[in-house]
Amino acid sequence: MDMLFTEDQLALAETVRDYLAGTHGPEVLRRLDVDGNRDPAIWQGLVDMGLTGLLIPEDQGGLGMGLADAALIAVECGRACLAEPLVETAFVAVPWLVAQGRTPELAAILAGTAKPDLPHAINPWVADGTGAALTSVDPLRNLAAAPAERSDDPLLLNLGALMSAAQLVGLADAMLAQAVEYAKIRTQFGQPIGAFQGLKHQLASCAVAIEFAKPVLWRAAQAVADGVDSADVHVSHAKVAATDAAQLTSETAIQVHGAMGYTYEVDLHFWMKRSWALSGAWGSRAFHLRRVDAAVLGGSHPIGPEHTFA
Amino acid sequence: MQLTYTPEQQAFRAEVRVWMETHVPKEPLITLECREGYDQHVAWERTLASGNWGMVTWPEAFGGRGLDLIQWLIFEEEYFRAGGPNRANQNGIFLLGPTIMEFGTEEQKARFLPPMARGEVIWAQAWSEPGAGSDMAAISSKAVRDGDHYVITGQKTWSSRAAFADWGFGMFRTDPESKRHKGLTFILFDLNSPGITRRPIRQLHGDTGFAELFFDEVRVPVENCLAGEGEGWNVAMATAGFERGLMLRSPGRFQATAKRLVELYRKHADEASPAAREAVTQAWMAAQAYAYNTYAVAAKIMAGGKIGAEASLNKIFWSELDRAMHRTAMHLLGAHAELKRFDDGSINAWLEGYIFSLSGPIYAGSNEVQRNITAERLLGLPRIGAG
Repeated sequence: MDMLFTEDQLALAETVRDYLAGTHGPEVLRRLDVDGNRDPAIWQGLVDMGLTGLLIPEDQGGLGMGLADAALIAVECGRACLAEPLVETAFVAVPWLVAQGRTPELAAILAGTAKPDLPHAINPWVADGTGAALTSVDPLRNLAAAPAERSDDPLLLNLGALMSAAQLVGLADAMLAQAVEYAKIRTQFGQPIGAFQGLKHQLASCAVAIEFAKPVLWRAAQAVADGVDSADVHVSHAKVAATDAAQLTSETAIQVHGAMGYTYEVDLHFWMKRSWALSGAWGSRAFHLRRVDAAVLGGSHPIGPEHTFA
Repeated sequence: MQLTYTPEQQAFRAEVRVWMETHVPKEPLITLECREGYDQHVAWERTLASGNWGMVTWPEAFGGRGLDLIQWLIFEEEYFRAGGPNRANQNGIFLLGPTIMEFGTEEQKARFLPPMARGEVIWAQAWSEPGAGSDMAAISSKAVRDGDHYVITGQKTWSSRAAFADWGFGMFRTDPESKRHKGLTFILFDLNSPGITRRPIRQLHGDTGFAELFFDEVRVPVENCLAGEGEGWNVAMATAGFERGLMLRSPGRFQATAKRLVELYRKHADEASPAAREAVTQAWMAAQAYAYNTYAVAAKIMAGGKIGAEASLNKIFWSELDRAMHRTAMHLLGAHAELKRFDDGSINAWLEGYIFSLSGPIYAGSNEVQRNITAERLLGLPRIGAG
């Protein structure tokens, strides 16, 4: 029993964080917004870092890492509001294809030439697909109508929900950081607004929600990785906790920004809109809450102090 | 990350389970906020100690088992699974004990820790004063050096367990010229010393658990001072860290409450609102989240890390979770919620628990103070009053 990431795992996530912070800042989001949403150079940078092969087995040329590593990096993708479909491709599609034994399809993903967002019955769309275009509130999200043939595989659903939860946690972290920075520099009544307890306490509540969503996320990632029977419950728990943390933080962050937050000029809106999109993707809050409810109140999932890791 | 127990950990769990099933009182004890209930709880401390379960993480030399934090969590899970009573000596074993281990001399450790582990000496906290609640640096009770003694004069209040406990610990101003965090000293004192008057305070529920303490030239030997004169604030911050951070509220307690809440919901499912149903599911999720977080913090400490200001996040989370769970139970109970005893004569533990849960966001540093600490030390927002 050791609920801790290794130094190596944390170092890799930090490398990705630094890389994205350096190459994928708000100015890039603004450029993409007016210039077609996607940039092959950004995608190639991710491929060159080996991220498309993170979960591809070593004997297939990948890095052979696990879902907990991927969840850590998906948090970083959320933090950077990454628009390229790395998470859908490398952290959702890849482990599902591996589980299905569809290894021949991995080479093109590793090379960066295939970016599948696998259609699932839970989603009415696919990201970066080829069907009829749908317009998301998130200006950097390319949605296409889902094809008629869609999987209803529960593992694919769990992978999609898990990685959405991870991105939501990263988005929440980023929105909190933006609100804190703004509260430090914006002055009113002769002091930074962040010195007012009315704001401090709201921001502290966001920190609490995010802090306690994270271990739920790690628990869910490990549950899917270990293939435990109760993985559905843990994934749904993570999706609800991450959605709630992101929603609270987005609403608090816009409030802290005041009227500036209501503009297209402040960066916050990119993160806020991504969080709205991912909150509904791969199963809504209601869907996931109902899955937890059914297992816990329904009695199929053991509860009580001795069942922390049941 | 490895989220399965080793065979040794599983065997340890089985050992605790058997002992608890044999020894935990079948009938719930009376509240420890009254004389009779306090005596029952002290007797339970001694029963625990007889099985060497007083404080499993302490070194064997001090009456513990020298176990690690994962084993402590397993112990706590089994303790609350079995319905183990509240710990009369929590101020000692969870707060003062670790503080003495960090700051005490070898002589102090040998003198104070074993009787604490054996449940022979029950400890009270004495932090707050009438003019120093959330603002603990405003403490004004004095300890004046006189030869090899301190002479303490002043007043403490809201002292948990002080109505009945044997010893107390708190901070006193040893430098009369000092202000705020400086010049404070952490002192341990016998509550039966001449010059101490205890005035039990009747609490919200009608019983008297905490007390006011009046010190009238109370003589305390200087060897009862922890970590040196003037070091009190640093020692107290460490104690408060233990309190908010890890030890005081182990997750098993809240997981047990969440389970009882689910069972209560099932009884009232027909008349319950959908909102109550969601609140019950939320309770289970939050109790689990708290447990996962505690395992993560334990792993971090075992790997050499420390708990810092994030202890404040922890305190906010568990105290508000506890209140929310009991509030939901009160809603589910409807007209029965106000009854102190149900029709069958059994104590309405939900009502008692709800009343107690209202103290959670207040004690151990109010949640407003915790949110300030979070905002200033974790998020880096400007200090209050900064221009």
